[in-house]
Amino acid sequence: MRNKRSPLASTIRQNPGFYGAIIMLLVLYLVYNMLHPRGFSAAVLIQNSNESVAIVFLAMAQTVPVLLGGLDLSVGAIMTLTNCVASVVVNGSPPQIIVGMIITLATGTAFGLMNGLIVVYGRLQPIIATLATGAIAVGLALFIRPAPGGNVDDDISWALTNDLYELVDTYGWFDADAAWFAPISWFPVPLLIVVVIAFGVWLPFKRTVTGRTIYAIGSAEGAAYMSGLNLNRAKIAAFTLAGFFAGCAGLYLAIQTSSGNADITQAGAYTLNSIAAVVVGGTSLLGGMGGAIGSMVGALILRVISFYFRIVSIDPLLQPLVEGVVLLLAVSLGAFRTLRVKNQLNLFR
Amino acid sequence: MKLGTVISTAIMGLMLSTSLSLAGPEIVAGPGAEPGCFAPWNADTKYMQWPAKQGPYKIAVVNGFVGNGWRIQMIKTAKAYAEDPAIKDKIAEFKVVSTGTDAPAQLGAIEDFINQGYDAIITIAVAPDGFDRVIRLADKNNVVLVPFDNVLDTDAVMQVNEDQLLMGRTWAEFTLKELAAKGVTSGDILEVRGLAGNSVDRDRSIGINEVLEADAGDWKVTQVVGNWDDGTAQKVVADAIAVHGEFDAIIAQGGTVGVVQAMIDAGHPFVPVAGESENGFRKLLAKHAGEGLKGISIGQSPGLVAVSMKAAIAALEGNVMPQLISVPLPVTEYSELQDGVNFWSDLPDNFFTVNEFPPCGVNISGPSIMAQTEADVK
Repeated sequence: MRNKRSPLASTIRQNPGFYGAIIMLLVLYLVYNMLHPRGFSAAVLIQNSNESVAIVFLAMAQTVPVLLGGLDLSVGAIMTLTNCVASVVVNGSPPQIIVGMIITLATGTAFGLMNGLIVVYGRLQPIIATLATGAIAVGLALFIRPAPGGNVDDDISWALTNDLYELVDTYGWFDADAAWFAPISWFPVPLLIVVVIAFGVWLPFKRTVTGRTIYAIGSAEGAAYMSGLNLNRAKIAAFTLAGFFAGCAGLYLAIQTSSGNADITQAGAYTLNSIAAVVVGGTSLLGGMGGAIGSMVGALILRVISFYFRIVSIDPLLQPLVEGVVLLLAVSLGAFRTLRVKNQLNLFR
Repeated sequence: MKLGTVISTAIMGLMLSTSLSLAGPEIVAGPGAEPGCFAPWNADTKYMQWPAKQGPYKIAVVNGFVGNGWRIQMIKTAKAYAEDPAIKDKIAEFKVVSTGTDAPAQLGAIEDFINQGYDAIITIAVAPDGFDRVIRLADKNNVVLVPFDNVLDTDAVMQVNEDQLLMGRTWAEFTLKELAAKGVTSGDILEVRGLAGNSVDRDRSIGINEVLEADAGDWKVTQVVGNWDDGTAQKVVADAIAVHGEFDAIIAQGGTVGVVQAMIDAGHPFVPVAGESENGFRKLLAKHAGEGLKGISIGQSPGLVAVSMKAAIAALEGNVMPQLISVPLPVTEYSELQDGVNFWSDLPDNFFTVNEFPPCGVNISGPSIMAQTEADVK
């Protein structure tokens, strides 16, 4: 808008981290497919999207509190909790399954809302508040499912972790072999779910006053307050949305594994990876800059890096080291802008 | 559009053909191949047979958590066994990846190897559930999936493990035998348990207590929790000795070096000790056996990975295999210890001695594993 000549060029200039991440992802994924014996096939795409969904949703969940300038250490725990809830409720007849899914997402959302209320009215630092609530979530998850197991409906599990063809074929909505359907029937369902939630929930939310208030708080909380924005509502909304996204991750994890598992180490690892994904995706940990779409890309980059170990022969005991080095490089790319800044005070905005 | 049509038709064809001809193993009657090595779990164990494939095979190991000594030794064993002359020619390609405690990543890695056209995938599952999809895909593509150590709650795949119940029983039986030889027929026994809530801990403890209860003598068992960890075990055993005084024997599930150390530190007389297979424990047994530290050392061996690889190859060759393979317990008593053969006095304590399974032709000894990098670390 401001730059009438080329709006695209100006968005690229304003979001170097985000576009850099997209280019990095494209290059990494292209090379992976070229090296893979069955690269560029739907089977590989389905498999890759399946294993990425949980971390993508969790990275999106982490983004919203980070935009405020805080960290949410409970996202992995909420994912574990909703995973265990889903393993109990997502089965039975189709209406029961749908109700079960709604219950699962509502659990995540409610937990996020609780986080928000504690942060706003308890006046606690988000990082401390969510550390505590995360422990509560894991405790609840262990209570619901002391041993791994559960029974998520097999059909939904199979249909939602495959391509559109299998989805339609499993439920017989229409003739899956129809000619008009053929060009899109290969599309992976998990990818579709992520795209729908990311663009159907995040983008509209970002455009609301509440959404923009979140960015304003991250940029300059004092200024946002002086501008008469409703800070409390925005903060609560941010954590609630994070809870919803974490709930999506937990639900999909349950569908993917058709079971629930209150795995504490997994919850911790996912929380840390979600923060890494947010940073790689170009969102500033100081808040006010970035977005959930970038984090989605960041999460995918993290995943694609680990895909390489299956193709390229690297000593298994060196793999964590290599992964760490690549990750460090990816994060450092975002820091290159500091080299070009003439006045270092600009960095502190 | 046109390319899309071609691709989707191809995929559709693939999906149709595969879902109609759901392959995978056939359930057949036993007995299976090489019963000395691939022993069925019990009389009810099913037998499976895959269609024979022409070698050499592509084999992958998908590990979960990495970072403790046992896992590192397991990975090294896998790599060393892949170079073993007995099977080297049967393996075209061999890969090991560790996914961490991340279920989607582990499932994704398994599926990736299926997509890459691997013939067999060996895995330590991060969870006993949730593998339905990859099992289905493996069956479709005639890939042999072999979980071991942390096995799955399913009978749809071939799995490899040691019998934890039997391990507990063997420890207790040895202890009673040694005590009887000393003329002790009743008294106090200290049981050092593993990680609470774990099925391995539960089964081992059941085995131990079954035997003690069935014995004619009156045995009082004191239980402490040592978490299979030297430090924890040393502390709880020291506490138990301080509170309780003397024990007639100690049966420890793990962290056995710590157990014996606590005994020495407290000035407790040497008594029979049943324990795991740490090199340090065997060093202590060898040193103090004459003073009364008569022990038995049985371990959950990192060499299970090699047995699993061998089982996968046997299955790919079309042999009849038990669905659940019980690997013989690697048992060594104090009288059988020989430096350089089943323990190594010049190697670190924190290393699991039992790596070999002679009935399976798995002869990866400690030093051949340590030779790779551990020596440099030391």
